[in-house]
Amino acid sequence: MTTLLLTHSCFVDHDTGEGHPERPDRMRVLDKVFADPRFDGLERAEAPMRDDCEEAILRVHPETYLARLKRLRPEAGQPAVRLDPDTVLSSGSWEAAMRAVGAGLEAVDKVFEDDRTITNAFCQVRPCGHHAEKERAMGFCLFSNVAIAAKYARARHGAERIAVVDFDVHHGNGTQDVFWAEKDLFLASTHQMPLYPGTGAPDEEGETGNICNAPLRPNDGGSQFREAFNSRVLPALTDFSPDLILISAGFDAHEADPLANLRLVEDDFVWATDKLMNIAEHHCQGRVVSMLEGGYDLAALGRSAAAHVDLLMGA
Amino acid sequence: MAETRHADIKEMSFERALKELEAIVGRLDRGDVELAESITIYERGEALRNHCDHLLRQAEAKVEKLTIGADGEPKGAEPLDPPQ
Repeated sequence: MTTLLLTHSCFVDHDTGEGHPERPDRMRVLDKVFADPRFDGLERAEAPMRDDCEEAILRVHPETYLARLKRLRPEAGQPAVRLDPDTVLSSGSWEAAMRAVGAGLEAVDKVFEDDRTITNAFCQVRPCGHHAEKERAMGFCLFSNVAIAAKYARARHGAERIAVVDFDVHHGNGTQDVFWAEKDLFLASTHQMPLYPGTGAPDEEGETGNICNAPLRPNDGGSQFREAFNSRVLPALTDFSPDLILISAGFDAHEADPLANLRLVEDDFVWATDKLMNIAEHHCQGRVVSMLEGGYDLAALGRSAAAHVDLLMGA
Repeated sequence: MAETRHADIKEMSFERALKELEAIVGRLDRGDVELAESITIYERGEALRNHCDHLLRQAEAKVEKLTIGADGEPKGAEPLDPPQ
């Protein structure tokens, strides 16, 4: 059994513009990191352009939203369209967004295969997804990648209980928006508060208590993060007893990250990954699909993602 | 770097700093801030909060001086940092 790494060269063509923190170099750094011989054991595949991608998107976003983005997407050579002050649709964004969604679907297929050879997967994708609400692109995100993968797992593979754990430093408001009234979809999130996007308070619990927000204070470090996992995230996740764990793997809670004030280091991501894998092992035959979200210090992103995937490979 | 960026705050009155801080907290709570800018705004809020804290501590110290006047009676406030 191996770990699957899904990515695609087109992810650098999602052009967010000069000076934007969510930039193509994030992919180049990770390409370099995963070219190291220590990752020779990975199974690798291209993030696919799939025929069922739009169908999967429409389980989460309304037709009008998909149609609007399609209408706005610029042709090659045309200037990018700004959907909000953070979020850009360039001529290369559409293929990137479709393949980012496609990576999640493919990873889900692989971990649900009969006689599977893939234990878990990491999707090295951009644009990220966890801020995209049902009807609103925001926070660098176009489609709610992880929520789309969750609903696909339910529709295609009959998964009944799907959990997302989001340790990106920003609250996953988009995933929360999609999951709010879905009792069999669970979201647990650690994030800095106050910070963008302003949501994620502990009393935001979803209609049936299916959402667990564990905000951290600015300058909190590994001990507070681990305490939030131990006291809130892990017990709630264990109680939920998932058929699949999806990780919104943002690495911007790292102490070096320029967009936030938490103080995590690589070991904290490793610790959290290990805990999630243990629960996955116990409840769902180790099925974990991790999708990249944020992480804006290139060196810290590279080291953190490497440590995360290294652990996934140890399953 | 943060010191230089928020140099104007040092000269602010308590009321003005608090008003700007309240506006920042309101924007963060409403999510009315861009992701790429939110940390800058948060850090300015923190600098404002520190300034307000500093002014409050000064005021508290003045009150304390009033309370512990030598003859046990309230006295006029003395400057915390007497002129050199």
